[in-house]
Amino acid sequence: MEKELFRKLLSGVMEVIDGKSKEGSNILSNLVNETHNEENLAIVFSGLYSLVKLARKHPHGTLKQQILKEDLQELKIPAAFIPDISAAVFSSSDIDPTENGPSLPRLSNLQWRLDVAISTSSLNRVLEPTINMEMCLSNGKIHNFEVPIAKFHELRYNVAALLKEMEDLETRNILKIQV
Amino acid sequence: MSLMFTITPSIKKAVVCINELPESKFPLVLSRIIQKLHLKDERPFTEDEEEKLQKTLELQEADLELVIHTCEFFLHQAAYHSAKPQVLRQQLQQLQLDDNKVDAIVNTWTGDARNVVEKLRSRTLSAKKLEDVNWRLNLQMGQRDKSKSRQPNAMLELGINNDNDEKDKEKIRLEFTHDQLYAFYNQLQTIQNQIDGLS
Repeated sequence: MEKELFRKLLSGVMEVIDGKSKEGSNILSNLVNETHNEENLAIVFSGLYSLVKLARKHPHGTLKQQILKEDLQELKIPAAFIPDISAAVFSSSDIDPTENGPSLPRLSNLQWRLDVAISTSSLNRVLEPTINMEMCLSNGKIHNFEVPIAKFHELRYNVAALLKEMEDLETRNILKIQV
Repeated sequence: MSLMFTITPSIKKAVVCINELPESKFPLVLSRIIQKLHLKDERPFTEDEEEKLQKTLELQEADLELVIHTCEFFLHQAAYHSAKPQVLRQQLQQLQLDDNKVDAIVNTWTGDARNVVEKLRSRTLSAKKLEDVNWRLNLQMGQRDKSKSRQPNAMLELGINNDNDEKDKEKIRLEFTHDQLYAFYNQLQTIQNQIDGLS
């Protein structure tokens, strides 16, 4: 296989892995030529796909370039292609870990408004602040609600406490968290 | 302060009824009324209780209704103007209420004013209100395409009360990474700064 064709295939694989492109078949049909039919290309494509996927599964930093090289040689991958594969594995385009896997909805947008009530039908001087929040979630739902000032303090306190716990968790050495 | 009460025929009639009430029972009636003053859709007494009251106070149904409404009105007005006790006393006396009844109303008002005004202040017209906040911190250990990961994630649950429908308590559940949570906290901090700027 020519290096140029191989590189095109590999970049197609990476696009699919990174979620930039969902269709591998388009890439394949564009690359068909006299020596390689689509079936052959599909075999190489899926092989590369599994290879990179598996290599990437290791947590960041634990996979050594030398070991990957040896493993690829063992698989009888032509030496000329190894640097390219290795580069693809370690490129580790920092895809957001939150975009894969199951998860609760994320907060995609928060709009808020701070009101101070002046008078109401039952009190001529109220002067009580309230907050209106509109939360847009990543699942497309929009929630509108009011936050009385006491509840706002509760919310802020809880988020701060949670944030602190999270920071503590990340600095605890025994857990060896990579962020 | 402007005049809280104007003498209308129905207030005149109510004053006559109130003056005839037994002195010992009247404060009890007032105390129930003020307890329920901040509730929008609730009457101070149930139908059963109203029937019993008619007997103990020796009032006709219509008169009892008038007495209750008028007392509610007095207290509502006092709350609306955040009336000082002397002012309330003076204005009630102008309606020709007996002194012991004026005392009872003023005492009820001074005893509970702070509480009532506080409750009325927090009364809003918005149906949905934030009620409680719960959270949970997790450490993600693995995922289908990621082994041995160590990724903290934060879950937040916001309980939203819906006034229109008691049973329909909504829960908003959210998940955050560290960065996302930090961004959210910063937004809350911006709101806090605005609140601090108010006073």
